[in-house]
Amino acid sequence: MKVITQNQLHDFLRSLTTKYDVFGPVVLHDGMLSLGQLETKPFKLLSGKIPLRISSIFFPHASTVLTISADRVDVPQAASKPILVIGLTAGDLEALEFTDNFFLTGCRDDLYHQNRSTSIVIGVSGRSSANGDFHKISGGKCDIELINDGERFLVSTYSEKGKTLVDRISAEDEDISLEALQQESNSLPEPDRDIIQKASELLLQDKVSDEFWVNVANQCIECTTCNNVCPTCTCFDMYDVSNKDNVIRYRQWDSCQLSGFMREASGHNPMREQASRARRRIHHKLAADVQRWGKISCFLCGRCDDVCPTGLGMKAVARDIVEQFG
Amino acid sequence: MKKTLTTCAYCACGCMYYLVTDDSDRFIGVEPSATHPVAQGHPCVKGWNVFNFINHPDRLTTPMIRKNGELQPASWDEALDLVVSKLHALQSKYGNDSIMFCSSARTTNEENYLVMKLARAAFQTNNVDHCARVCHSSSVVGLASTFGSGAMTNSISCIDKANTIFVIGSNTTEAHPQIGARVIKAVKNGAKLIVADNRTIRVAKSADIHLRHKNGTDVALINAMMHVIIRDGMENREFIQSRTENYGELKTIVARYTPEFAAEITGLKAQEIVDAAHLYAKSPIGMIIYSVGITQHTHGVNNVRAVANLAMLTGNIGRPGTGVNPLRGQNNVQGACDMGAMPNMYSGYQKVSDDEIRQKYENAWSTTLPTSNGLSLTHAMNAAEEGKLKGFYIVGEDPMISDPDQNHVRRALQNLEFLVVQDIFLTQTTQYADVVLPAACFAEKEGTFTSTERRVQMVRQAAQPAGESRADWNILCDVASRAGYQHMNYETPQEIMEEISSVTPIYGGISYPRIAQLGLQWPCPDKDHPGTPILHAEQFTRGKGCFLPAEYFPPAEVPDEEYPFILSTGRSYYHYHTRSMTGRSRLLDREQPSPYVEINTEDANRLGIKHNEIITVASRRGEVKVAALVTEDIIPGVLFMTFHFEESPANLLTNNVLDPESQIPEYKACAAQIRRIS
Repeated sequence: MKVITQNQLHDFLRSLTTKYDVFGPVVLHDGMLSLGQLETKPFKLLSGKIPLRISSIFFPHASTVLTISADRVDVPQAASKPILVIGLTAGDLEALEFTDNFFLTGCRDDLYHQNRSTSIVIGVSGRSSANGDFHKISGGKCDIELINDGERFLVSTYSEKGKTLVDRISAEDEDISLEALQQESNSLPEPDRDIIQKASELLLQDKVSDEFWVNVANQCIECTTCNNVCPTCTCFDMYDVSNKDNVIRYRQWDSCQLSGFMREASGHNPMREQASRARRRIHHKLAADVQRWGKISCFLCGRCDDVCPTGLGMKAVARDIVEQFG
Repeated sequence: MKKTLTTCAYCACGCMYYLVTDDSDRFIGVEPSATHPVAQGHPCVKGWNVFNFINHPDRLTTPMIRKNGELQPASWDEALDLVVSKLHALQSKYGNDSIMFCSSARTTNEENYLVMKLARAAFQTNNVDHCARVCHSSSVVGLASTFGSGAMTNSISCIDKANTIFVIGSNTTEAHPQIGARVIKAVKNGAKLIVADNRTIRVAKSADIHLRHKNGTDVALINAMMHVIIRDGMENREFIQSRTENYGELKTIVARYTPEFAAEITGLKAQEIVDAAHLYAKSPIGMIIYSVGITQHTHGVNNVRAVANLAMLTGNIGRPGTGVNPLRGQNNVQGACDMGAMPNMYSGYQKVSDDEIRQKYENAWSTTLPTSNGLSLTHAMNAAEEGKLKGFYIVGEDPMISDPDQNHVRRALQNLEFLVVQDIFLTQTTQYADVVLPAACFAEKEGTFTSTERRVQMVRQAAQPAGESRADWNILCDVASRAGYQHMNYETPQEIMEEISSVTPIYGGISYPRIAQLGLQWPCPDKDHPGTPILHAEQFTRGKGCFLPAEYFPPAEVPDEEYPFILSTGRSYYHYHTRSMTGRSRLLDREQPSPYVEINTEDANRLGIKHNEIITVASRRGEVKVAALVTEDIIPGVLFMTFHFEESPANLLTNNVLDPESQIPEYKACAAQIRRIS
């Protein structure tokens, strides 16, 4: 297994910029973390949560679907360089796997596929040299995983693309065991997992009252942030803009918390009541997805809990469900 | 991909977020600022969707001049020369005060400063005002006379520290989503909430006490609350003694406002008033939040003073979590006031009538300045209708939709000899313009906005202006120079801010490097001052707080047999003002695609009106056709419309009758009737 320092990693990523559009965690002007392009400073790996949904790198907030001119229809061309994104945690990778399944299984989403199929995803885990926190080891779900032992990154590869790339790292292989780190990873507590699981069961058993959702709705201002930061939310709306010479069809993140989300052209709206929309957000992840995909589609990243202005994130609502109906 | 940190262009909460642009300068998303003290990573739905209108094909991209009745593309030289020559011609013929400048609360501080400088220095008239006249002029007058400063006394973060929050005349979650959400969260964390609004607005659903008083009876309600507080010995005697004056008059006036007397006027139960008074007064830390439900009345100034009196009576001023907090409407309406885009004040609320102050500006601007106060926006519109005002230069404003009594506004604009409109889209108002100047929008220029909590923050350029459009500051400087005034030349907005801070004591310490990160709250008098999150801490800006009690008066128009309903107007969460931006944002327009009138279920049943049925709403000034939204959320006898929609303009119905002190129109109450169409 190759073992590299932060500086070696930075040099390696720099060397890849001719071939890839290299993204990773950067600090923006206001001090927050975000996915940004590699510049002179090294990426801030294992430095904290990136507030925006990670899937935005492949599924941006707004994008062009097609352009219709008088004599032709153009679809967006693939970017000149494929995307390489580094810095995803085990939780991010679980969410990305779910999003991949959604967009790429069955009726494939071409725009997502265009960005994702050529991409390289590098996960990070282990002990953060920034704050000493230990991050769960993913053990897969990406091309390469960099596992920090507190000083250096141990390089694991999980795909052919990943192996080919890692072969270009000039560091020698070292005979080093992941066992101790893996044990530490396995022993990490997951206090919220039980709550989400219990809430999911209660929803599947239809134990949660209508009144509960009215109460949630009364506190929700429909800012839509919960959806927009959620790494497994994938809904979008499509619309056309007529310009002088063409019509451009766009797609843009949508939110199930908005009344227009389900409104029919007739005006009839099966989710006119806000309470039904409040229920849907939670029910979808904790019950509907369990029935469709066999698993809960909340991977406990806590992004919605971090930012909901009135404290209605997934974990908070799940906790209330368990307290009131468990 | 580029991410540009900037300040939101919708309401005055003052969220910051990143605008995301692609390599060809197209806007492809928003990324919230997670560290900003107000945004906290969660813009409202308007903020998340703010980028949609920027690249919209309807954007104005070239100057236009009306020829043969049609607006036709023109060059900047042609358009600006025409503007200057026409305005000069009107001034030579009818006098300097025959023209009016309307500044814009949507533009930056630097641009508001320049509009007033252009009017005063280049065109020698104090006829300059902006839309605060029709939203919070009552706050400026009412709070200046009681406290000495017309702005929000506390910071938005203070909501987290209040024990009791009293919201009156503010549909907080819809018009100021960040503040509304913060109130709801405070309640979840244990704060008590009183909401006075006869609609069951979203914050009312979290309220401990919801007072559904009749429209326009706020003075009676608050006087009665004060009556109870004094009667039951809950007033803060130490604060009254040491920090205030004129308490005797307050006591005398409120003496007759027993809860029973006010119950008659307000339609509330006497006990509800007592409970609300006790809940607010017994709280060690009590905050009042109000907005245009208080100000937009013929007695708007009295409403504001009543609110100020209530806070002083209980000593709820000058401490964290307390205060009187008017929520300003537009992104930079606080700044537009601060910058002196008003007929009687220079920047920093320095009076035009003060010789020393005027001399300071004459020295700074190298010119002599007019001495008498100018026209307010509402008086100017009246003067135009009467034919006394001849020319109007309107920046970023659509009075055809936003001002009261649309037919009056139409007559006024048609009556003008020359109308210039500087905007980002064609509007209802540009129908009457002789010249239209295309402006860059907030994402295409640099400057500062001042939020409702007096926080001066950076606006940054994320892309080049659309087409040939230019930043407002740049256009204004060009107009000044063509008008022969040579002291309005700046390379950058930063230079303008340097001039502003040199003449404006409350902005004395504001500079771009200091506000680069998260802004500073004024007063900030010098470069080492940390800014002022809470006003009136040790003493009031005017020295002692002054109780200015007032008697209750009903609205100018009350229901009668012919017009048996009372109509109030306001905003929807999804739209912003005249919809020029939100109407061109897909998700926002989808949420609220068409206008509506809220009507109580009982009233609807009585009149045979069904939900979503198109009905006629009429007042003495006109009528509109609009869908009925039948709901229990409004009390019987009251109608509510948003003013956003040009196809059913609420302001065709509203009453252009003004508060005598602030000249604010009474948007919040007029008599109306409804009729089924078939």
